[in-house]
Amino acid sequence: MELSIQNISKRYNKEKYGLKDYSLTIKNGILGLLGPNGAGKSTMMKMVATISRPTQGTITLDGHDILQEPDYIRKMLGYLPQDFGVYANLNAYEFLEYIAAMKGVGGPNLKHRIEALLEGVNLIEAAKLPIGTYSGGMKQRIGIAQALLNDPKVLIFDEPTVGLDPEERMRFRNLISDLAQNCIIILSSHIVSDIETIADEVAIMQSGTLITKGTQTDVVKQVEGKVFEILLDSAALPDFKAKYLVVNTSRQQAKTLVRYISGNPANGSAVAAASLEDAYLYLTHNKN
Amino acid sequence: MGQYYKIIIADYKQRTRSYAFLITLAVGLYFAYICIPPHGANYSTVRMGSYTGVQNAAWIGYVTAMMTSVFLALIGPYLINSCIKKDTDTGVGAIVATTRISNFQYLLTKAMGSFLVLLSIVGCVFLMAVALVCIRSGTYPFQLVQFLLPYLLITIPTVFFVSALSVTAEVFLYRYVILMNIGFFFFFGVVTSLQQNIAPPLDIYGVKPVTLAMEQTVLHQAPKANAQPSIGFIFGAKKANKSFVFEGIQWTVAEVLGRVMWMGVGLILIFVSSLFFHRFDIKQRFKARKKPKFSVVASQTKPLQDIKLSALPPITADYSVCPFIKTELLMLFRKGPRWLWLINLGGMAALIFAPITIAHQIILPVLWFLQVARWSDLATKEKTNRIHYFTYASYKPLTRLLPAQVMAGIILALALATPLMLRYAAVLQFIQVLSIIAGSVFIVLFAVAIGTLSGGKKLFEILFFLFTYLNIERAPFADYFGGINNGTNYLALIAGLSMLLALASFMIRKIEIQRV
Repeated sequence: MELSIQNISKRYNKEKYGLKDYSLTIKNGILGLLGPNGAGKSTMMKMVATISRPTQGTITLDGHDILQEPDYIRKMLGYLPQDFGVYANLNAYEFLEYIAAMKGVGGPNLKHRIEALLEGVNLIEAAKLPIGTYSGGMKQRIGIAQALLNDPKVLIFDEPTVGLDPEERMRFRNLISDLAQNCIIILSSHIVSDIETIADEVAIMQSGTLITKGTQTDVVKQVEGKVFEILLDSAALPDFKAKYLVVNTSRQQAKTLVRYISGNPANGSAVAAASLEDAYLYLTHNKN
Repeated sequence: MGQYYKIIIADYKQRTRSYAFLITLAVGLYFAYICIPPHGANYSTVRMGSYTGVQNAAWIGYVTAMMTSVFLALIGPYLINSCIKKDTDTGVGAIVATTRISNFQYLLTKAMGSFLVLLSIVGCVFLMAVALVCIRSGTYPFQLVQFLLPYLLITIPTVFFVSALSVTAEVFLYRYVILMNIGFFFFFGVVTSLQQNIAPPLDIYGVKPVTLAMEQTVLHQAPKANAQPSIGFIFGAKKANKSFVFEGIQWTVAEVLGRVMWMGVGLILIFVSSLFFHRFDIKQRFKARKKPKFSVVASQTKPLQDIKLSALPPITADYSVCPFIKTELLMLFRKGPRWLWLINLGGMAALIFAPITIAHQIILPVLWFLQVARWSDLATKEKTNRIHYFTYASYKPLTRLLPAQVMAGIILALALATPLMLRYAAVLQFIQVLSIIAGSVFIVLFAVAIGTLSGGKKLFEILFFLFTYLNIERAPFADYFGGINNGTNYLALIAGLSMLLALASFMIRKIEIQRV
């Protein structure tokens, strides 16, 4: 499968763009989307999910223009929006039945499939309770279950780990790693480590444009040899921050260990191994 | 004091920044225009027997103020309700609860916000009344005081009381919107029915001192005349063909205090409500309370398990709308407390036993109106519940989900009207059966069209109330279910209008789907 996004723009008014001349090709596997708030990640995902139309450009799935034929992708789409709601007076089982009807799936096994998914997301005991009584994490799990109802071939997860605890996040990562063998998965997250662990490719966005895209190794390469660590007195930190791109600080007895990115390191610095987070901060900072 | 002013203004802004509110203001302007019937109109608003006032400034001022007072009391609660619920739903309430604002102060700001919303409508009516004075008062002198006084002493105290009452109702019935709507309907219905014999200071609408003065003016002019006052849109009745000159009234201190008293009652209601206000510490009252085993904590201790998509039971394609209809009906049924269905059952029983004309002309529209909360968000609940991301990305959302919602709404309407349809069928009056079917299709499509157009449910709630009121008053043009009008031509008209509404709904939804 190949999802191709060609020169899409979303223009709100003369000067404001949600996305600008954005192009990307995605094949089976996991594409991790990184970017600050307002970068256009959700806008791009909504366009692929066919609920928002670009002002210009084309999106094709295996050669089918999904702007012209949205139902082509909808049949095989699993979408978990960032900020979704539920019908509070339906229970989990009824809600998934409703979503199944929307997706146009059914058959004698639907009941068993819903039960299996509810077991998978560990909501089987609460399946008969109104969703209005669920916690945020439980609602998020319902969202994950609905995305998997229809044997999806294209999965879009917008901030899927919000509300999940660390163990649930780990389980979720395992789940989508398993799915990625036969699907296209687009995943956005603010948590770089979520992307770092599972994404085959990473795309970093800012202000509606694509800054870079490639394998994690390719992206991290851009910052290799530029990440340093240095021990400083706390009093010297403000001046240091003004001069360098500081990505992390940690207290070490009376001093502060500072991790920073620069092409021209300060005296006494030691080179550190670059990570995806360093690359992300470096690239988005440079763009600014 | 300044901070409360800012809260009230912010509340007012967030409630009025919508197309639905603009439409409401336009309706307010039109309402003011029709309050003063032009020459030759086949309806009257305020009249004393067969007498009506000449259209001078005092008459126009008092009539528009009185009509606005009565109508904003009747429909105002539907316009301004759910102001606390909105804070609950958006999570703003949780922030409010952590601030130093007291319950009384918070509820007062909410009531004042509602008051300003209603006052905006009063402002529109006032502007139209000024225009009408300019156009129609001819050579009569402009009496500024008698033009302004009715707004100050009649309309404003009423809308303040309505605002306070609406907040109070929300405090005590915050989980029962349907009950609230029905409660307002019956409360103001009772108040209206008591108008005839009530003492002037006890009149919530504040019209009694005026109608007494008008009555006396007519009797002074024609001592033997029938000067029975009536207020409201009365259609097709014998025209008021005699006129009298009304120059306003001299308000006594007792009458003014009577109006101030209702504002005081409003404040007392807010104060009492503040003692019982939940302050957004809302307990979940669903089944979880009955089954404590399913606690949120218990579920949180068990994280996601490993799911293998390939190991899940296979599913097949199923594009039928039946599962949608089933779930939509389930949601319609579950909306509101279940015991309210007893009222519906009572209404259905009345459709069986009441005289067939009353059953058709009065009971059926009232019974359908009681479903206002069920129908008002029929096609907008995806957005308000933020489900639209799923629905709009689903397979053929336009041709599957929307028709299913409409069909579920129609099934509910028809189920409620079944006793009446069976009665008509038993006496072979099939045209009446068809009229009721056409009426049920029309009102549901009307709900869907207005909901998708305005993006909310309030406009439909208000219009549906007006429809119901006009039907009870037997206004022929509001008869959408064949209570007054008969014949195939009328059926064709309703069917045509329904098709237009369906077309509009589909067009708007199509645009919505592409513009999330």
